[in-house]
Amino acid sequence: MGNKQTIFTDEQLDAYQDCTFFTRKEILRLHGRYHELAPHLVPMDYTNDPDVKLPLALIVNMPELKENPFRSRIVESFSEDGEGNLSFNDFVDMFSVLSETAPRELKAIYAFKIYDFNTDNFLCKEDLEKTLNKLTREELTPEEVVLVCEKSIEEADLDGDSKLSFADFENMITRAPDFISTFHIRI
Amino acid sequence: MAKNSRLSLASASDENYTFCWRVFCAWDYLIGNPEAAESKGAACVAQSTTSGAVLISLRILANILVLLSLAGSIYIIYFVVDRSQRLEQEKPELTLWEKNEVSVVVSLITMIAPSAFELVSQLEMYHPRTSLRFQLARVLVLYLGNLYSLIIALLDKVNSMSSAIPVSSGNWSDSTTFLATIALPEEDGLSTVAPDAAERQNGTFLLGQEANRTRGATPVFLNQTALYGYNMRTPQDPCWETYVGQEMLKLSIIDMIFTVLSILLIDFIRGLLVRYLSDCWCWDLESKFPEYGEFKIAENVLHLIYNQGMIWMGAFFSPCLPAFNVLKLIGLMYLRSWAVLTCNVPHQQVFRASRSNNFYLAMLLFMLFLCMLPTIFAIVKYRPSQHCGPFSMLIYYLQAIARSLKVTNNQLRMQLQTGRYCGVTAALLCPPTARLQDTEGGDKKPDPEGHVTGVESCVRSGSPRRNSSVSGFESPERQGGGGAGGGVRTITQSAARPGPNRAQPGPTGPNRAFGASRSPSTPSVTQEHREEHTPNRHPGHPGGASGSCRSKSHHRVAYSPSCRHADSVHSDPLFRKSFRPAPREASGLAAAPCRFHTTRYVILNERDAPKQLLRSNARTPRRYHADELVDIVELCPRSVRRFPSPGPAPGPGPAPPPPRQRYQPHLDEEEEEEEEDEEERRRRRWRDAFASAQSHRPRSLSDLHQPPRPLHRADSGPPNPRGPPHWSRDEGPRHQAAPSLTESDSDSVASSSDQQHSSTDQYIQVIHYKDKGPRARGKPAKPEPKAGARLNVSEPNELFCSNV
Repeated sequence: MGNKQTIFTDEQLDAYQDCTFFTRKEILRLHGRYHELAPHLVPMDYTNDPDVKLPLALIVNMPELKENPFRSRIVESFSEDGEGNLSFNDFVDMFSVLSETAPRELKAIYAFKIYDFNTDNFLCKEDLEKTLNKLTREELTPEEVVLVCEKSIEEADLDGDSKLSFADFENMITRAPDFISTFHIRI
Repeated sequence: MAKNSRLSLASASDENYTFCWRVFCAWDYLIGNPEAAESKGAACVAQSTTSGAVLISLRILANILVLLSLAGSIYIIYFVVDRSQRLEQEKPELTLWEKNEVSVVVSLITMIAPSAFELVSQLEMYHPRTSLRFQLARVLVLYLGNLYSLIIALLDKVNSMSSAIPVSSGNWSDSTTFLATIALPEEDGLSTVAPDAAERQNGTFLLGQEANRTRGATPVFLNQTALYGYNMRTPQDPCWETYVGQEMLKLSIIDMIFTVLSILLIDFIRGLLVRYLSDCWCWDLESKFPEYGEFKIAENVLHLIYNQGMIWMGAFFSPCLPAFNVLKLIGLMYLRSWAVLTCNVPHQQVFRASRSNNFYLAMLLFMLFLCMLPTIFAIVKYRPSQHCGPFSMLIYYLQAIARSLKVTNNQLRMQLQTGRYCGVTAALLCPPTARLQDTEGGDKKPDPEGHVTGVESCVRSGSPRRNSSVSGFESPERQGGGGAGGGVRTITQSAARPGPNRAQPGPTGPNRAFGASRSPSTPSVTQEHREEHTPNRHPGHPGGASGSCRSKSHHRVAYSPSCRHADSVHSDPLFRKSFRPAPREASGLAAAPCRFHTTRYVILNERDAPKQLLRSNARTPRRYHADELVDIVELCPRSVRRFPSPGPAPGPGPAPPPPRQRYQPHLDEEEEEEEEDEEERRRRRWRDAFASAQSHRPRSLSDLHQPPRPLHRADSGPPNPRGPPHWSRDEGPRHQAAPSLTESDSDSVASSSDQQHSSTDQYIQVIHYKDKGPRARGKPAKPEPKAGARLNVSEPNELFCSNV
């Protein structure tokens, strides 16, 4: 068989390589992972660019995402329809952003999307509370949650609208020393 | 630092997004297993649930722990220094550990404490950057505390040492005092210790007194405690600076050793273990507990700052410490760079530590100021040890130098005052002889004998030289004043009559000596006579004097080769005899530096004599020098140009003879009287001349004039050592001279202590008193004609030496 593969055309692979932070091998491996999520659904031949989307439930059961409290939001953020149905492109995109080599700005964009539960492009108090609750698995008292969220908005809110815009978030998150190390999934 | 500030200002300030980060960055997306997720969740909960109060209390607790550990480290260091001190006192031999205990303890604390602080800081739940700052500050305080407590403990010991120093006698080693002080020194005890100080070096348990056994042991221990030989075994006393310097050096060395060990153990071995044992270990060593060592930039920088502080503290006491430190740092740099590349992983938390440059530089500056304080305190408060170090005898040396300079200055001044007559040329010409003579005859008491001796010696010395017209005519005063007249007499006599021995006019030996010293060109008869006389005269004197005379005449010969023997020597000696003894004995010339034996012979040649005389006169302002010069002048009128009225000058023929005649030994009273008159006149003339030449002379001239009279009278006596009687007689009439002479004597005595040549310079005037000698006619003095008439000296030239 050698190097010849029939899943993707060379142009497709090149395109994937340009658009993501993966190499050819990694893309093929991703395809394999994508395929094993739903072998009957995912064709092996993607040369004609089939339109196959896997549901959220299948993806969030991946071992890499299983323990993540934000897994649903992650998948939803990368899905085109916002429901978590990922095509292969979205799949690759997701892991590309969460990879080690993705730049900080890109990650911040998607982190903002992930934490924006109501998708209003603002991190309001409710978003933060939900984030905190998911983080602590509801073990905090509501008062504590409120306190923390208020404190967070106090810290990061620069324009004073008591909610975090993307600019506030980006400003705050880029100063976080461990953001990149935590916002990382290895596949 | 300015550039760093600019850069840090350009970037936004580091706001504290603690809660935000806790919310958004708490979760590690890499977590894949449920246990880790749960623990992480719990951690997040814990972080979020800690309310302000709890947090504050936790932080206070952490700070308390840190402060306790700092205080503990300071106390431990002080305790260890104290213990080492006690060990030195109690035990004769210290083990390696005990010797280096202090340094080891300090280095151990330096290694362990930062890790402990890191553990404690986890309680505080600060943001990593904040917690790093806290960590750095605590570690820095710890380092400073260590250094300060070490230096203060050492200086305390020094203080106890220094306090004992004044009690003890001056020549103790500081170590003994130091040790003694520890044991409540007692003065007697200390004094007993002193004798044994010398033994200390051997390291034997000395200070042999039983009572001071403990004290004695300490110096031994001090010597032994110096593990590294820098500036170690100062023979007599380990100075306290040495001790402190040794301790700092030990600290530096052991710190280096510990650093190397920690790098090897904590980084390298750990890396090896993690790499190769993780396969066969229960858990993943690489991600769990041991993990690879991280290269902590901040703490390494702090260690460098600590190293620098150590150097600054010890540099004053141990000057080689910076040099050693350079080598140490270079070695450590290479070792660490290798370790970082092979054993370390980068710090997980990227703090952009480079942006903290200003912080580190500020810390360094702070450390510099703090480390200078103990050194300055030690400089100011503690006396330098007396037996070592560049500052120990500084004051003493300065004082000693100032004192010696003052003494030298005084001596030189006195020499100048007394030795002015002793011309520089004379001094230069006859330095060795002067000394010889000095040694020989050096008593300053008026000793006609001595003077005579001197003269005699001079004469004797002059004799060997045939051609030289130099005759040693030492200043009788030098000898003690006695010989002047005698000398004069001798010369005069010898010069005046070839036949009659010099002794005739001059009972004193010097006459004969003079005669002997007559230049060889003088009629051999006279010379022989002189020589004969001289040996009879003063057999005792001789050696040195003659030698000196000889040497002087040598000089003279060279100087004025053309000199002929001045026949006028006859007159001169007489003249001299008369006055010389008085001045001589009175003046300190003879007494002091102008020893008889130190006479110099100044050849006053016909041509040169005047110059010489002038010169010598110039140099010897003393009256009695002038007296001598006047004598010379009178005796050798020709040589004295300054005599304006060369009464004798125009008539060289008649001139010389008269003086000569005058100076002839006065066998008969009549002649003497006549001569005396003539001499008086001559002297007056000379005196005038001198006065004109030099204002300071007149008195001396007059003085000079006076003495001859009595001398002449005395001369008439039998040629026996009539020193004393001569002197007495001479002194009588010489009213003027006496005081001046005495004054001069005293002065000379006083000032010429160092001068050896000035007063003993003799002007050997080559007086060509040939009856027919045209030369002699040159510059006669007024008295010359008369003297010349008197003098039937057959000798063409007569030389006489006059002490100047």
